[in-house]
Amino acid sequence: MRNLVGYLIRRVGWMLLTLWIVYTVSFVLMRSVPGNPFSSERTVPAAIERQLRARYNLDAPVHRQYFDIGWGIVSRGDLGWSLRLEDYSVNQVLAEGFPVSASLAIFGLVFAIGLGIPAGIISAVRRGSFADLSMMTAAVLGIAVPNFVLASIVILLFVFILPIFPAAGWGTLQQLVLPAFCLGAPVAAYIARLTRAGMLEVLTREHVRTAMAKGLSPQAVVLKHVLPGAMLPVVSYLGPATAGVLTGSLVLEKIFAIPGMGSHFINAALQRDYFLAMGMVLTYTVLLFVMNSIVDISYAVIDPRVKLQ
Amino acid sequence: MNPPLLSVEDLHVSFQTDEGLVEAVRGVSFDLGQGETLGIVGESGSGKSVTNLALMGLIPRPPGRIDRGSAKLAGRDLIQMSQKELMDVRGRRIGMIFQDPMTALNPLMTVGQQLTEVTRRHFGLSRAAAQTRAAEMLEMVGISAPESRLRDYPHQFSGGMRQRVMIAMALSCEPEILIADEPTTALDVTIQAQILELLGDLQRRRGTSIILVTHDLGVVAGICDRVLVMYAGRVVEQATVTELFASPRHPYTLGLLRSLPRLDRDHSLRLEAIPGQPPDMTRVPAGCSFRARCPVALARCADDTPPLREVATGRSSACWHDDARQPAGVASISPDPSPVAGG
Repeated sequence: MRNLVGYLIRRVGWMLLTLWIVYTVSFVLMRSVPGNPFSSERTVPAAIERQLRARYNLDAPVHRQYFDIGWGIVSRGDLGWSLRLEDYSVNQVLAEGFPVSASLAIFGLVFAIGLGIPAGIISAVRRGSFADLSMMTAAVLGIAVPNFVLASIVILLFVFILPIFPAAGWGTLQQLVLPAFCLGAPVAAYIARLTRAGMLEVLTREHVRTAMAKGLSPQAVVLKHVLPGAMLPVVSYLGPATAGVLTGSLVLEKIFAIPGMGSHFINAALQRDYFLAMGMVLTYTVLLFVMNSIVDISYAVIDPRVKLQ
Repeated sequence: MNPPLLSVEDLHVSFQTDEGLVEAVRGVSFDLGQGETLGIVGESGSGKSVTNLALMGLIPRPPGRIDRGSAKLAGRDLIQMSQKELMDVRGRRIGMIFQDPMTALNPLMTVGQQLTEVTRRHFGLSRAAAQTRAAEMLEMVGISAPESRLRDYPHQFSGGMRQRVMIAMALSCEPEILIADEPTTALDVTIQAQILELLGDLQRRRGTSIILVTHDLGVVAGICDRVLVMYAGRVVEQATVTELFASPRHPYTLGLLRSLPRLDRDHSLRLEAIPGQPPDMTRVPAGCSFRARCPVALARCADDTPPLREVATGRSSACWHDDARQPAGVASISPDPSPVAGG
């Protein structure tokens, strides 16, 4: 327990340091790309651009901006105004988009874990069987097929041919199913492959033979003596994968008309929306840190030889 | 004489490998009496471990296969049993401990969880009763503060202590037979002696029959009653420990005994290793498989495989020399007429 508190304190310390570095690097990178938020297809008259720059404090010297924006984030948690989504603060954009992306992600992950782990177990136990071959082929397809192709296929199948689900939109459970499936499919495929590889590795260990020699049933041996060890690589994959899935997917949000965060991520960068891009990058950093800490803690829970540090 | 507890008859086990079919066990037969400690000696690949895994139904299939033979435990053939029936034998009637206690215990479970698992499975004990039983067993194998140690994980135990845990686990359902597969090989020498002493002591107190697989003749001399010497998948000699050390019949046994370091021998002499290598098990030559390394091989050894025959009461050997040989035994081919029991 004291271990855990110390670990968490250290992690938060590292996270703050990392956030500062990420902030600095993002700031420098964004300001050094050619162009600015107001240079788009339509040229803005010089006087208006001057006013806009003044409005967003972009006319101040760069080092001033660096400190002012940073101070705003640190003191008030204020990430500033979005330069392209008028009348929205970055905090508002995140507050609206994150719950949407997160609920989609949670459904996708539950589906991915619920499908991937049993598939991996069966594949490993029945190695070389038809079930193994077909599931691993499906897994390779799940990883290789891009999500817009998968999305088109499921829309074709379950919206047009068999009209079970709505094509797009957000707000009902039915609308969640298809995008969650498309989001979770590659994750499920990775999990299945990692579970299978982990199981096959643990199955060769001697303690499995000991468990067999005790007279335990094959099911008990697999579930109690093989699976926990086989989960370690899955757990380490799930950390960053969850962070990635939580921040949304531009493609799926576009196809299924979902108001999530994924599109902001890309658009903010393309449109040089300095403040929104910064907000997205910092959010992603925090998520990644939190997920990796959960991975570390899970490791220590699964394997008592692992010490948190 | 009582009927044997375990009677293995003409056991054949083979493995399909990339290099071809390996006949790991080629016709092994032996009996194990009630309360007896039987040593099975041989170098790596001689089939001693495979024989025991076959008894437990733990040969991985594929690539392994039991081609022939029977192993009757109190009249019932283990080889013919279904996996379900074998599950009731494993851990309950035959306990097994393995070579490396570092890897034979599950590193992710507490010792208590691993110990209680067996008694809950076979005796249907409640969690609490299994816990009490586990603590008793740990105490029996000489682990102090057993209640608190049940909560520890294997990595918190030393090698010798882990082997004690393994023994406690294997014996907690009071099996009739304990198979110990190289139980001391991975341990420090001082710990080896303690573990052997513990095994001998438990055996005397509980009357468990033990099959002790080892390549160490010193271990055999220490606690076994009878010994099987295996070479290339066959039993080449079978005798009581005293007989084996006093007058080995098979040239391979003799070679093994000669290669033991001894304190009473002139140190300027080198240890006598058996020349050559065991045969490639994918291409075992016809005839006696020890022929190529045998100092006294005859012409007929190349063609005919010498069968394991009784050469005196209760002892057998598989060597053509036994045909012509007088009671003096292998002594006639031995320049050192008094191999002394080591260990």
